[in-house]
Amino acid sequence: MVLLVIGKNPFEVFSLMFSDVFGSGYGLGQTLFKATPLIICGSGLAICFHASLFNIGAEGQLNAGSFVIGLVAYYLSGLPFFVAIPAALICGFIVSGLLGLVPAIIKVEKGVSEVITTIMMNFIILALINFFLIDFFAVKSTVHTEKISDAVMIPKFSDFMPMFQGSSLNFVFVFAILIAVAAYFFIYKTRFGYEIRAVGYNDTASKYIGIKINKIILSSFFIGAGLTSFVGMNFIMGYKGYYEFGFSNNLGFTAIAVALLAKNNPIGVIFSALLFGFLDYGGLTVNTIVPKEIMFVIQGIVILTILSVDKLVEKYYLK
Amino acid sequence: MDLISQIISLTFLAQVLRLFTPYFLGANAANFSERSGVVNIAIEGFMIISAMGYALFTIFSGSAVVGFFSAILVGILFSLLFSLFVIKLKINQIVAGVGFNLLMAGLVKFLIIFLFQSSSNTPRFDSLPNIYFLENIPFIGKVLSDYIILFSFALIFISNFVLFKTKFGLRLRSVGENPEAGESLGIKVRLYKLYGVIICGFLASLGGIWLASNQNSFSDGMIAGRGYIAIAAMIIGKWKPVNIFVACIMFAFFEALEISLQISGTFIPSQIVQMLPYLITILVLIGFIGKTKPPAADGIPY
Amino acid sequence: MNIIEFKNITKKFGNLTANDNVTFSIKKNSVHCIVGENGAGKSTLMKILFGVYRQDEGIITIKGKEADFSSPLDAIDCRIGMLHQHFMLIEDFTVLENVILGSEITRNIKLDFDKSEKILNEYIEKYNLDLSLDKKISELSISEQQKVEILKLLYRNSDIIIFDEPTAVLSPIEVIEFFKIIYQFKIEGKTIILITHKLNEVKEISEYVSVLRRGKLVYETDAENLDIKILSKEIVGDVDVKNDSGNYEYEGEPGVLAELKNINLKKNKLNVLNNFDIKLKKGEIYGICGVEGNGQNEVIDILYGLNKNFTGDLNIHTKKISLVPDDRIKKGMIKEFSVGENIIIKKKNLKSVNSKSILKAANDVIIKYDVRLPEVNAPMESLSGGNQQKVIIAREVELDNDLLIFSHPTRGVDIAASSFIHSMILEQKKKGKAILLVSSDLDEILKLSDRFGVINKGCIVAEFEKNQFNLQDETEKTILLESIGKLMIGITGEQKN
Repeated sequence: MVLLVIGKNPFEVFSLMFSDVFGSGYGLGQTLFKATPLIICGSGLAICFHASLFNIGAEGQLNAGSFVIGLVAYYLSGLPFFVAIPAALICGFIVSGLLGLVPAIIKVEKGVSEVITTIMMNFIILALINFFLIDFFAVKSTVHTEKISDAVMIPKFSDFMPMFQGSSLNFVFVFAILIAVAAYFFIYKTRFGYEIRAVGYNDTASKYIGIKINKIILSSFFIGAGLTSFVGMNFIMGYKGYYEFGFSNNLGFTAIAVALLAKNNPIGVIFSALLFGFLDYGGLTVNTIVPKEIMFVIQGIVILTILSVDKLVEKYYLK
Repeated sequence: MDLISQIISLTFLAQVLRLFTPYFLGANAANFSERSGVVNIAIEGFMIISAMGYALFTIFSGSAVVGFFSAILVGILFSLLFSLFVIKLKINQIVAGVGFNLLMAGLVKFLIIFLFQSSSNTPRFDSLPNIYFLENIPFIGKVLSDYIILFSFALIFISNFVLFKTKFGLRLRSVGENPEAGESLGIKVRLYKLYGVIICGFLASLGGIWLASNQNSFSDGMIAGRGYIAIAAMIIGKWKPVNIFVACIMFAFFEALEISLQISGTFIPSQIVQMLPYLITILVLIGFIGKTKPPAADGIPY
Repeated sequence: MNIIEFKNITKKFGNLTANDNVTFSIKKNSVHCIVGENGAGKSTLMKILFGVYRQDEGIITIKGKEADFSSPLDAIDCRIGMLHQHFMLIEDFTVLENVILGSEITRNIKLDFDKSEKILNEYIEKYNLDLSLDKKISELSISEQQKVEILKLLYRNSDIIIFDEPTAVLSPIEVIEFFKIIYQFKIEGKTIILITHKLNEVKEISEYVSVLRRGKLVYETDAENLDIKILSKEIVGDVDVKNDSGNYEYEGEPGVLAELKNINLKKNKLNVLNNFDIKLKKGEIYGICGVEGNGQNEVIDILYGLNKNFTGDLNIHTKKISLVPDDRIKKGMIKEFSVGENIIIKKKNLKSVNSKSILKAANDVIIKYDVRLPEVNAPMESLSGGNQQKVIIAREVELDNDLLIFSHPTRGVDIAASSFIHSMILEQKKKGKAILLVSSDLDEILKLSDRFGVINKGCIVAEFEKNQFNLQDETEKTILLESIGKLMIGITGEQKN
């Protein structure tokens, strides 16, 4: 509809999108590459959302974790990759997780809604990263860190499968799927996951059932926020080789939409992330006809529409 | 020393008052919405879209006045759309807010590129007319002659009066506090929520317009988190216009200070000053400056 | 002259018939009591009259005209006012703002506070309400809040006023004051409809009484022919209220399992528990009866370990405590979870939570306790109230804990499920569990308890042993009930007034 307004044939646009995305290994690869961070971040947020914790702070959390992953991976470049990569990931997870703990602690101790604190934390964290990056760690006159050694880079799909030639798709995508599956089992198949959902549905009843609510709030915030740090892996180890300020480009917010669209089910997150990845890369393919930014608009419309349809269905189904 | 003399100058005061304007408009916008029980974290998006609206219509019509009224219309139209989602369909207000922020930011980026073939900003355009005879007062003439700045000062009293001294305000607040009680007395709850959201759209669009008019150009990222700071100011101001005024002045002071620091170049990193408003907000929420309590039914769909 | 006539009113909620062909009328300028047990359909009928619900069948006429209300506003226009059980007040508003809201007096665009204040102060003086208009609701006590509600009705000139259990939240002295207001209403020519289940109040104030039982109008009388004995029989129906606990005697070793001594607790600077004492013994049901909000929930929270801010001695010789809370939806279950999930979430020792173990947990309970549900994996919210309660009680009982707390175990549950739940509780006693039964339903307390205490203002004001209350003689029984009733509302034997 938006396309019609500006006088372009939407069918032309969409057919171009489809043919470019699915017509070549490159297009498919790029779509999966774009979906990778959304799967990771969406899975982390799904855990928070199941506990009814509205973590709007993923943008800050994932940047902090990624920044740390980039730094640790650079400084440990001398070590073998099977030491350096896990070490970097653990450090990133802990930093993101701890930053997620701040709003959780404020909520538990002072009863302040996490919505507003996480929004404020986004600005604070990004300002701090900017400060540390520019004043201490960045390569001169850039906003990125030193490049990590090739030894700790994750192999690309194209190294093994020629059809993905040129695409940045790398094995972090597989890792992302594994994270989503793990998050699914964690949420739906473990006692801890049940407790998280119970608290999310009804915290008073959970208290009487004997669940330690504060423990749940703190740990789901820690785990959820911690997971978002792995987003950096895709960009740093799978793509550029360094952390760059602004690489996330509001990914932390888009991931909220991704998680909500999937009703916070991590397996669903994989699919909604693929949809968003498709729109994201598809935007690039049609850039010659319409500016690719149209896809942001479509993403916004998609989430609002799906949520409204969902509400309407619920309303009439329950009647 | 240099810095201190800078701070106590009239130019600095004028700067603070100018920076104060979008914050205060945005904070009052958020307040009218929240007083009616609708959490609107999309103030940022509303400011962006109406700043863009002003830019577009001013450029295409050639008249800043046409641009002004069109931009206000844009703000109100989007707030109607927002209320369709949160009031009529009862989608979670935070989610809708996040969605709207994405949508509006994207739309603006798209329009700039589509219409002006530029990746970041529009061509230059006129600013709104000023009040002639006040313009020539030294230092603060520019502030005193600006209609929107003057309006935002008047808004301290207008907001207070409307919210606490009129029938409309009483009813608006009642639906934000206890919609069941309001409804039992015949108040049309959703209608008043709609009023709240529309006023919010109107005031937020004024903030956006002012920013665009002042820069004579719209650039991507020009709102720069002001919508969020406005929400922060509303919370620190405990949903009361006079307190919100103080909070906004404080934030404006920090921003002016940051600009002065950047110019004079001191040892305090600008990023640290940048994050101060947000840090202060969190500290306030934790309870260093006393308790804050939102309207009782804030954020709950009805 | 009849001001209101109900003709063949029927209202159904799903399978439940809340009002079943109800026909009666209310005389102008009378005080008309509508009595019945919880769930008898009193509130539903009044909500239909007030336009909150719409009847499925039947007609209501008001002042001779057929009333067809689509919302309470239509009722308000007809000068009907209703004082809800849950107050409709805005905590953060002043008394004045609350009262004028919706019917404001304005001058130009400004609210005319002076004029409204003058009008309201006249009412306050006339009805002796003793309220100050500029206080916020959050600063007022419950009875003062009720007065604000009354002031709202006065301000709107209501001439038919419905009170939904107005005295449940009042202390005895406040009840006397409240009755004075009602008398004043009568003098003014207003018609008063009072919903209650307290018979002493009915006796004191009513001119006409209608009894509802399971949705049907079963009995009507006027003040002259009012006999409390007949009335109570009509309210309850044919249920035998004999103490059953004797058939389930525990024969193991006795012993005290928990003891609370001199417990004091403050909440918002008010004493909610005052030197509270009880002893819970193995194989014994201890009942606490009282008007709700006299500290019962606080006692439970302390025993259950959720509240540690009290002073006094708490000795519990077990960590294995089960609780069936008073509000099953809010506190007892996760309504989105299935039966099995709701059971398994409390079995902390069960490590594996796969779908098989969940299904097994569900099936065990469903068969053993005859739980009716649409489908094994259906969410709890799709079960009826009685079945939900059975699941919760089954879960708690199956945990095989030493101390069991039941709070209002049969509230909102139909008669068949009630008696099933009662026998479950008694069986636990036989097994040697220590049981605390909290209820505001005196019949339930008398039927199940081995000992019971009456709670008032956070203190056990009297305790009764079985031989004191398990009486055969009807007159003795009536005297006992009357004295317990007085204790519950804070009138002790010594200080007769």
